[in-house]
Parts: sequence; C-alpha cells; structure tokens
Amino acid sequence: MSDLVDQIDALLPQTQCQRCTYFDCYEYANAIANGEAEINQCPPGGDEVIASLAQLLGRNALPLNTDHGAHQLRHVAVIDETTCIGCARCITACPVDAILGAFKLMHTVIAEECTGCELCLPPCPVDCIVMRTAPPESAVIDAARASRARIRHRFREERLARMERETDERLRAKAGMSDQKTPTSDAVKDAVQRALSRKKTPRE
Amino acid sequence: MAESKIQVEVAYARPDRQEILAVELERGATVADAIRLSRIGNSFPEIDIANASIGVFGKRGTMATVLNPGDRVEIYRPLVADPKQARRQRAARGTPKRRSQTTRER
Repeated sequence: MSDLVDQIDALLPQTQCQRCTYFDCYEYANAIANGEAEINQCPPGGDEVIASLAQLLGRNALPLNTDHGAHQLRHVAVIDETTCIGCARCITACPVDAILGAFKLMHTVIAEECTGCELCLPPCPVDCIVMRTAPPESAVIDAARASRARIRHRFREERLARMERETDERLRAKAGMSDQKTPTSDAVKDAVQRALSRKKTPRE
Repeated sequence: MAESKIQVEVAYARPDRQEILAVELERGATVADAIRLSRIGNSFPEIDIANASIGVFGKRGTMATVLNPGDRVEIYRPLVADPKQARRQRAARGTPKRRSQTTRER
C-alpha cells in the first residue's frame, strides 16, 4: 500500500499547493491510493499528470476538475521590497523553504525553489507578494524540479517536527519535569488545571 | 558512530539573483565556518559579512551558531520600508486594502 502511495506521489508535481484540498502532494497520493480522492484534482499537474495516474492505476483518464483551479504554466512569487515589512508570515507559510528572510529583515523569494503554490499570499498583511509567470526555461515542472521540491518539503516537515520536540523538552526541563515521559503526565494536568482555574477569575 | 561530516547550505538572495551554495563541514561546525567555506562573497561582493544579519532558516543567529545537518545559513538584507511608517500610511488611507483576486479560499 505505501509502495503505491510512493508511486503515485512520484507522478505528482510536488507544488505542495493544497489545491487538491490535501495538506501536501503525499497526502493527496495517499487519498488517491485508498480511493478517497479522484485522480483529476491536481491543477498544476493538469492532463499530463492525470494521464500518467490513469495509466499507473489502470483507470480511464478524466478531465481536470476545475473546482480545484485551472492548469497553468509555473508561476513564481515575487516580493515588492518597498512594501515588505519583514513580518515573516510568508516564511512560515512556504512549504518548501523558498523564501529567505527573517523578522524585521527583507524577505526574498528564491525563484528556483518556488513551486508557485501561492500559500504565501493570504498571510501577507501588506499584500506585497505577487505571482509572475516563470521564465520560459523553467515554466514547466519537470521531474528534477518536482524531486527537489519533494526533498525540500520533507526536510522542512522533519525540521519543524524536530524543533517542536526540542521546544517541548526545553519547556519540560524548565518546569522541572524532565523525568516525566509524556506531556499528559499528572504534573502537566495539574499545571493546566491551575491555569484554567486562574482564567475563571474575572479581571477586576 | 554518527558520520563526522554534515551537509549544509549557504544562501543569499536579491530580487534579481539568488544563490544556494552547498558546503560540507565537520560535525559541530558553525555559521562562520559555513560562510567562509562557501565563498558566497565571490558571487555577491556587496555582502559585508561583519555587519550583516545572519541566521538559519529564518531564525537569526550568530557566527558561533552550531549547525545541524541540512541547515541553511542565510545572509539577510535590511528592509527598505519602515514598518511603523508603513503602518501609519495604511491607517491614514482609511479603508484596509483588499486582497488581490489571485488569492483563493483555503
């Protein structure tokens, strides 16, 4: 089963754009494998990806379901430097670490890394990101580009999970609970209860 | 025994050109080691490394920050806009700016 998920994932363009309504390309691959999703929900992949999925799964090709968006050539995000306030929200949103920048410093899209997913647009509080068509030589998402995006995305997910674990451990150590195995331990429950009872007291 | 070498990247980005350079370092190496080995200054002579803000994956750090495998050392540029000034200007304009049409519901 997971073999099949990998085979499906290998055909997807790895934009991680969520237009299919799943968290990333791998989740969509998983949903196709277990019969939950159709093979025509990937606008960046378009007819070509639908055809290859149909062939892999021994099914008939379907027209792209345009409820998920229209197929178009690769676009990349571009940041207007005169407007960017360095809030870092786009950096948090980018699934492939394609934006270089930090809080209160300039943010710049690394064009070669951008999948055109547009996930950075909604969080920007000053609307300083626009989508532009990629240069002709990189307008198509080929296997090499998809493979790089997959690696970037997986590495990012692993890194975020690691950071979460480290924060957890640090907080537990700080609370003197380093010997407790899980955050649902009694000590944590007590702490939560205390916090909740504090909240109930209305402010003067 | 873990491998003694780690792979990291050093990156710098301007609107017109961005580069990510791969570097191999000893385990325990720092941001300073990565930047020196990458020779990123050759590609971007304008980088003033002594005064630049640096970090790893969007988090500011120092030259002494120890690197993990796969880390991307980033050299940042300052903002052009003054965030407070920009906010005042937006407030003075009154109605909040509406989102462009390319944004989809999620």
